[in-house]
Amino acid sequence: MKILVCLKQVPDSTVRVKVAPDGRAILTEGITWAISPYDEYAIEVALERKDADPTTTVSVVAMGPARSRDALRQALAMGCDDATLVTMAAEEVGGLAAARALATLVTERKPDLVLCGKQASDDDQGLVGAALAEALGLPHVAMVTKLEPADGGAHVTKEVDGGHEVWKAPFPAVLLVHKSEKEPRYPSLPGIMKAKKKEIPEIALATLLGEGAAPPAVTVTRLEQPPARGGGKLLTGAMAQIATELATLLRDEAKVLS
Amino acid sequence: MKIWIVGERKDGELRRVTAEMAGKASDLGEVTVLEVTGLERPSPRAAATALAAKAAAESPDLILIGATAAGRDLAARLAAKLGRAYAADCTDLAPAGDALEVRRPMYAGKIRATVTVPLPAVVGIRPNAFPLRSGYALPAPLAVAADPAAEGLSFVRFEAAARRGQRPELAEARVVVSGGRGLKGPEAWTQVEALADVLGAALGASRAVTDAGWRPNEEQVGQTGRTVTPDLYVALGISGAIQHLAGMTSSKVIVAVNKDPDADIFKVCDYGVVGDVFEFLPAFTAAAKAAKAGS
Repeated sequence: MKILVCLKQVPDSTVRVKVAPDGRAILTEGITWAISPYDEYAIEVALERKDADPTTTVSVVAMGPARSRDALRQALAMGCDDATLVTMAAEEVGGLAAARALATLVTERKPDLVLCGKQASDDDQGLVGAALAEALGLPHVAMVTKLEPADGGAHVTKEVDGGHEVWKAPFPAVLLVHKSEKEPRYPSLPGIMKAKKKEIPEIALATLLGEGAAPPAVTVTRLEQPPARGGGKLLTGAMAQIATELATLLRDEAKVLS
Repeated sequence: MKIWIVGERKDGELRRVTAEMAGKASDLGEVTVLEVTGLERPSPRAAATALAAKAAAESPDLILIGATAAGRDLAARLAAKLGRAYAADCTDLAPAGDALEVRRPMYAGKIRATVTVPLPAVVGIRPNAFPLRSGYALPAPLAVAADPAAEGLSFVRFEAAARRGQRPELAEARVVVSGGRGLKGPEAWTQVEALADVLGAALGASRAVTDAGWRPNEEQVGQTGRTVTPDLYVALGISGAIQHLAGMTSSKVIVAVNKDPDADIFKVCDYGVVGDVFEFLPAFTAAAKAAKAGS
């Protein structure tokens, strides 16, 4: 099986993201960057297939500025076979344009499965994966938590309200990963050494986008920190008394208990 | 402005977010409420195919879809199929010249963004973002028939989650009772559920709890889990890691119970109890029951 995982480098989830003075971007100085968490799950899901069947190959592709190489290097160290960086002049590209560019790449590489995280933890749009499937004329499955080979395709487990659905996806298909069964693996030391030696070829976004008008995209005009909360009321005393006071406050002051 | 609302049903009833969106949209333009029929299970490609065919004929300026799990999936596929701009998870929207200005969370809820969306567009709307409009009667939705075969996948089976009672869904719930590592083990949820029953709440959990297998993954609140915006969020034995806070700080009222007075959860709470969660649970369950009964 040939798997392609699309990933994006985003601020590490433990980072306190701050807004730049112009209010249109985040402060990137001193930020720790990481593979977007859902993409990391996608890598784990792909590598578990490779664990089960060593003939499986897992390729990774990232789109973004030069720092994205670190994310690709990390994916290689985890056990992915090869990596490609799609470079671009701007810091960001719209979701539909990203999908169009990735579709060109997928058409060239012909993987059996394309795995994407269900959304990137920066803009949190969750557009690229579904748009990629649409551009390729393929079905997609969202909220994927598990993948098993099945005759001519895969059985794909999808988290839904109240449980899980299993769908049979014929190859090729696009899967949008929500979680892996196991936590994403850490790179091994030999993995890190091996990854260091691998070439990461670059392709320019413009090459993949080809001709044609740019698809419509949204524009971020202002970023703000959420309003600070705080000034909460600490309740003290005996627990029975606290409980009664809290219930009364929630009913009469906050009006959320009725 | 011609606005479509794509409704979604749960257990035969239109979800509340459908009426929330339609009430808000009725301020902005002429509203048509639709629902996709003929699909036994949410099938984004099949639904998008049916909606896109109708949109090609009728050219709505704006298509609003509730940002439930199925709604997010459909909205992205539909925007791609129509080649329209898309903004996910919006919490507010207003016309801005020929475009739309929306507010939406970014960076897993750590940042709030104002975003310009060129029209025509597809926009996802978070449940609980708009109050139900008083005096607004939701029109009966127009059926848009979809063909399940257009999905290109075959359904194999459904595996129901164990231990699930009649509770509201996490992303839509008005009240969420959430437990963390401070609850010490899965046994504690007997008491958590008793409180949730009294409050009519959905159950949530911190990542530590779902990772440990005490509770199913679908209950995880925070980054890589669900984002929730209930009227009341009760955090029991949750320390308040930044990834958890990102998923729940937009709740209207937050109650935190933790034995560690320095826990970060107290920095975001409206009401805090520093103490033993196992003493708190039975006492507060009884008190909430009494308060609701009006005594």
